[in-house]
Amino acid sequence: MTADPKSLPRSAAVAGDAQDARHPSATHHTAPVRLEASVAAEPGTHATGGLASGTDIAGMVGSAGASRPPLHTQTGTDTRTVLHLDIDAFFASIEQLRDPRLKGRPVIVGAGVIASCSYEARRFGLKAGMPLGEARRRCPQVVILEGHAQVYRCFAERIFELCRTLSPDVETYLDEAYLELTGTERVHGDLLAATARLRRAIQDDTGLTVTCGLGPNRMLAKLVGKTVKPDGLARLHEHEAEAFLTARPIEQLAGVGHAHARTLRSMNLRSIGDLRALPMGTLEALFGAPGRLLYERCRGRDTAPVTAREVPLSISRETSFHHDTADPRQIEGMLEYLVGRACRATRELDLTVRTVSVRLRYSDGESAEQARSLRQPSAVDPVVLALALDLLRRQATRRVALHAVGVTLSQFTRDTAEQGALFDEAQAGRRAALCEALDRVRADHGHGAVVSGRALHLRGTVPQDRHGFVLRTPSLTK
Amino acid sequence: MKNEALDEAVAVRADFQGGQVTPIAFKRRGREHRVARVNTRWVDRAGKHPRFYFSVTDHNGDVYQLQLQGGDLLWWLDSVTLEG
Repeated sequence: MTADPKSLPRSAAVAGDAQDARHPSATHHTAPVRLEASVAAEPGTHATGGLASGTDIAGMVGSAGASRPPLHTQTGTDTRTVLHLDIDAFFASIEQLRDPRLKGRPVIVGAGVIASCSYEARRFGLKAGMPLGEARRRCPQVVILEGHAQVYRCFAERIFELCRTLSPDVETYLDEAYLELTGTERVHGDLLAATARLRRAIQDDTGLTVTCGLGPNRMLAKLVGKTVKPDGLARLHEHEAEAFLTARPIEQLAGVGHAHARTLRSMNLRSIGDLRALPMGTLEALFGAPGRLLYERCRGRDTAPVTAREVPLSISRETSFHHDTADPRQIEGMLEYLVGRACRATRELDLTVRTVSVRLRYSDGESAEQARSLRQPSAVDPVVLALALDLLRRQATRRVALHAVGVTLSQFTRDTAEQGALFDEAQAGRRAALCEALDRVRADHGHGAVVSGRALHLRGTVPQDRHGFVLRTPSLTK
Repeated sequence: MKNEALDEAVAVRADFQGGQVTPIAFKRRGREHRVARVNTRWVDRAGKHPRFYFSVTDHNGDVYQLQLQGGDLLWWLDSVTLEG
């Protein structure tokens, strides 16, 4: 039994309650469940050598693609293995790598609220979502950084690239990923050892540590990983799932947010095991269709596949202003800039967008959001901007300064050509050609090389570099 | 910590051994800064050409961000991070 999962020998057994002891926040103790914890490296094994780089994994387990059914359903077996990988204190760790003077110091990244904090900062009770003012009160010596979204993206992409050496099915988020490992034992051998090699490869390559959980489905893989954070590795087998879940707090169950937890606690249901007492009909009556999911999940069942999403669910760009503002030129300028960035990201994926949503946050904390769909999917700036500006003007009706503005594009389609009425075709073609030309210029010289229309009003008030305007709180979500 | 954007083209002495580029020294305003340590490196592949980034500590203990543009092989000094 050890507090450091890295020091455990191969297949060392760690009781769940010992794992919880490392995390004082976990108030409930698990039943005595065996977790296989971090595997010692094979002597003499090179960090990346064990990942069988260059091995045609796709040839053995099928080609990657969103339409392919999950492996466990293809093979007809019920021994599914999903790996959940989470980058420890992602933004803060990168900042500590970039500047060694920050090592060992409490570091937080964020503007307004904490987006990420180092483990040194967490010792003072700081956590994501906490207002910076409170963070300063709790830890006066904390180093606060505004963040470098572009740098974080590069590190995440490199880590996900390494993940793809283990499986072709990798579903990525900003700082975490799910890997479908079912059937890959034939390539990698023991999956716990293969995951340990992946973790080492990531650390050697990027200097970052990751926490990995292996489980029979996504939900359990993520949950078991949480018990060994940071820099840990744990595995949960299917037959251990029910015991593992029984004593966990109800809030830890995927799909149980603050509101659901409040409802369930008011019924004196405090642990995931307690939830099993409710029949499916009751859960459905309480929470609608998601109640059926909760019924399955509290029994350790989760059939959601790992999908290498080629088409994202949404692309959003948002920021708070350097100073709260009611100046329509500033607000519309920022919205035009954000729409331009979101549309460029959409075009880079050869997608067109159907639905545009604009979100406002006022200086008094109130917020508003409206969404509408375009008549025809498009990815050209003026078309999306026209709808976004319309949404902005409909919502910005209060006589209160704005703190933040954001745009979210969703409902993507693969059709890249902008289609319109017969007599619009020539104009649509010209618009698309203009966007392509601008994209080429920006690819060579940075997004800031071309500033369009209303966004010019931001000059002089918002700092600028080659990558564009330096936003106060760039989107730190994928 | 205060991050100050510099955005200056700089002359860099670098080692290209073993298929990996490592900055050794750079000249700014006529003064040579020897790289005491490469803190971390990353690559941005979003554009047409990759951009190679380096966080380095010079011999004075200051932390700079250098960038090598893959297209034209120009070096840029992006920023310096100051204590305080």
